[in-house]
Amino acid sequence: MRKALLLVLLAVLIVVPVGAQEEGLPDFIKHTPCEVDLTGQTIPIYHLGDISASYAFITQPLLVGLTDAIAYYNARGGACGATFEQVNRDTAGDPAQSQAAYDDFSSREIKPDVLVLYASGDSELLRTQLAEDEIPVMISAGSVDGLYGENADEPGWVFASNPIYVDQFGDFCEFVAANPEMYPDPVIGYISWPGAFGEAAFQPESIAYCEAAGVDVLDTPEYFLPSATDISTNVQNLVDNGANILYTNSLASGPVIVAKTVVDLGLEDDVQVAGVNWALDTSVALLSRTAIGSDGLPAVNGLVGSLPFHWYSEPDHPGIQLVVSQFEANERQLSQRNISYLLGWALVDTYVELYAQAVNQAGSLEAVDGALMKSILETIDYYPLDLYHLNYPDGLRSTSANRMAMIRYANADMTGPATSGDDALKIDPGDGTTLFVPLLIPLEDFAPAPDLRPGQ
Amino acid sequence: MSSFAQTQNPASSAAFDARRAIKWFLIAVALVVFLIWLAPYGMAQKPGRLVESAIRGVLVGGVYALVALGIVIINKASGVFNFAHGYMMLAGGLIFHAFFSVAQVALIPAFLFSAFVVFMLVTLNGWRMLRDPRRLVIGAVGTALLTGVLMLPGQDWQLIRGFVGGGLGAAALGLAVERFTIRPLIGQPLFTAVMMTLAVGEVLHGLTQMVWGSVEIPLPVFDVLKRIGLPERLSIDGADTWLDVSRIVFNLELVVAFVLAVLAFIAFVLFFRFTNVGLAMRATAENQQLAQSVGLRVRVILAVAWAIAALLAAVAGIAQGGATSLSQNLPGLAFYAFPAVLLGGLESIGGAFVGGIVVGFVQEMSRRLFPGLQVDTELAPYLVLMLVLVIRPDGLFGQKRIERI
Repeated sequence: MRKALLLVLLAVLIVVPVGAQEEGLPDFIKHTPCEVDLTGQTIPIYHLGDISASYAFITQPLLVGLTDAIAYYNARGGACGATFEQVNRDTAGDPAQSQAAYDDFSSREIKPDVLVLYASGDSELLRTQLAEDEIPVMISAGSVDGLYGENADEPGWVFASNPIYVDQFGDFCEFVAANPEMYPDPVIGYISWPGAFGEAAFQPESIAYCEAAGVDVLDTPEYFLPSATDISTNVQNLVDNGANILYTNSLASGPVIVAKTVVDLGLEDDVQVAGVNWALDTSVALLSRTAIGSDGLPAVNGLVGSLPFHWYSEPDHPGIQLVVSQFEANERQLSQRNISYLLGWALVDTYVELYAQAVNQAGSLEAVDGALMKSILETIDYYPLDLYHLNYPDGLRSTSANRMAMIRYANADMTGPATSGDDALKIDPGDGTTLFVPLLIPLEDFAPAPDLRPGQ
Repeated sequence: MSSFAQTQNPASSAAFDARRAIKWFLIAVALVVFLIWLAPYGMAQKPGRLVESAIRGVLVGGVYALVALGIVIINKASGVFNFAHGYMMLAGGLIFHAFFSVAQVALIPAFLFSAFVVFMLVTLNGWRMLRDPRRLVIGAVGTALLTGVLMLPGQDWQLIRGFVGGGLGAAALGLAVERFTIRPLIGQPLFTAVMMTLAVGEVLHGLTQMVWGSVEIPLPVFDVLKRIGLPERLSIDGADTWLDVSRIVFNLELVVAFVLAVLAFIAFVLFFRFTNVGLAMRATAENQQLAQSVGLRVRVILAVAWAIAALLAAVAGIAQGGATSLSQNLPGLAFYAFPAVLLGGLESIGGAFVGGIVVGFVQEMSRRLFPGLQVDTELAPYLVLMLVLVIRPDGLFGQKRIERI
């Protein structure tokens, strides 16, 4: 009896401080109030994709962001009291492994209510099966084929939280046309990785949209593999045909090698580099530290691209403040302070909202299924951490708010961007390189990107 | 074979010659048709651009040749096609990075690393070498010296530290691969060893991920070369010349990789032709059991071959990692080297070099002549490989095999 009392006392001593530590969420996060208590239950966040190959620089911080965000939300009541856990599979970019991971998830006794994917290729691969299995997918950005099908007329089960790549490209052309002082006589050459992601933005609709806006796009794109040793000929082909803007739908080392080649060929004054939202990331800015331009700054300095959410360089934003404070509290590395870390947080916040709405409608967690989640996603109007607007009206499967921003590097006083390597803030990371501190400077306010699905 | 047939049966020999003449005539016709078809694409280009692509193709081919050389060395010594070579490149580059990119290596890791390297070298001929006190003393002194070199502090020594640590680390890796995975298969079917290299590749994949992660790592090795005065790029002024382009530019990275490939090629030609170990390797490749029966130390020869191949892989990994970054994409470069190896002939050092150059040249020229069609990465080099294998099944410089029945 005495032993049992001691055990109870010990349990109370352990549980009470944990309970006492539980805090609420900041006021700016406004979830739907829960009408059902799910305390004691667990919600898996299923996700699959490449975390060890070409996308690793982007996707590994996603895991870290999800881990930190899950811990944060779980300590604050999770979703209606239920706690989250990650269930993920690394596919190393291999479609066969994506299929195997999906088969594993979808054949479980309790199928995922929602699934998270990283790659356009995977969304295209699994599109039909997702519809058959009634599993909605959340993805960051995507291709027309993945979201709307081959003929772009069947909005499916995949929902993107950024504008799709073809829309981003069209939006960039709009920006170019509106800024002739930055881009006089613009001619865009498209240079990217081959494959569903790399080729997603180069579509007849985006080219026609650009042409209509007064921006020429070269008919022939150039593609290079992530393992390419040298892409000088690809760049030279485009420049010889008149390109003075190189647009890339690649990430991590992709935009870096494009910018480095422009520097190597001595074309810095004649050619500007631009890209998809993944090109505007810490990974790109940090990898470029071994490719220095003639101004002494990394070659990607000045790269323009889509930034369809708020960013770390907006310190007054409450969502950014929260993420940064947790990033620092968890002592994460600089390379992890990237786009995916941010999106990992927004994703978990979205899950809280989705499940709050779902259990309110279904009455219990067991009654929540993919079909219900899809119907909620179709009508959702939510701002995850206020970083972006999640909203899919009129059969849309991607968000539309977008803006252009530019990669710059901080000056030594941290008062703004450096003008050259001489006045830049430099850090010695001890690996023989010089680290420059990247900034993403928004160049315009958020506005709807064009809808460039075929037939629109 | 043909001379043997000639002495036996003149009639069948004449028929054979006729068939061969017809075959070469058809090949020549096909080549002419191909060139006529290609000519308009070439004419559409400025001469300077064609020259640029040709030279760049040769330089890029130098990187492929460097990779191909490592594969050929293993094949030449053991008959095994090493599918793990791509991951040996990555591992070598990462070991180099571990010593190159730190201000100073701490005592314990430096000592453990040195002890492992020396242990693998001292026991080259088998574990029984550990019973020899003299070798143990040599090992202890070697470990102490190597530890001292690896602990040299500061950026002034980073290149020395990197090359000593990276070079010896890669060699030790090659020795370990041979000792623990290939040596137990001596006398077993060759296919087993080939499959083992696939497994070794995946193990290295996993190990490199576990130790260094999957995130790309910049390797600023060429910055050091620039610091010591080498130009960032080579440039040819083509304005107002027949080249008809303002200028032609080549990166330092490509030029250095090409020079390394040429030096490696020369060194290995000399090695195989004029050294006992080189000759022994060739004999071992012919028949391991026969070589052993005439007193050649097959195990040592195989170990040396793997060490050399791993060293070459590391050099290629450092060159490629410096030009781009060290990432899990890097082993993909080996896929370009595979056609180079087969094109040149599986056992030919010169063939690997020429094969690498041909693949690089074909890639660059197809990229130039057929922009946007994506023929450069896989289609063109493998088409050339198919054509060469149809015409010369043993590759351009491969040894013709005569099987006695």
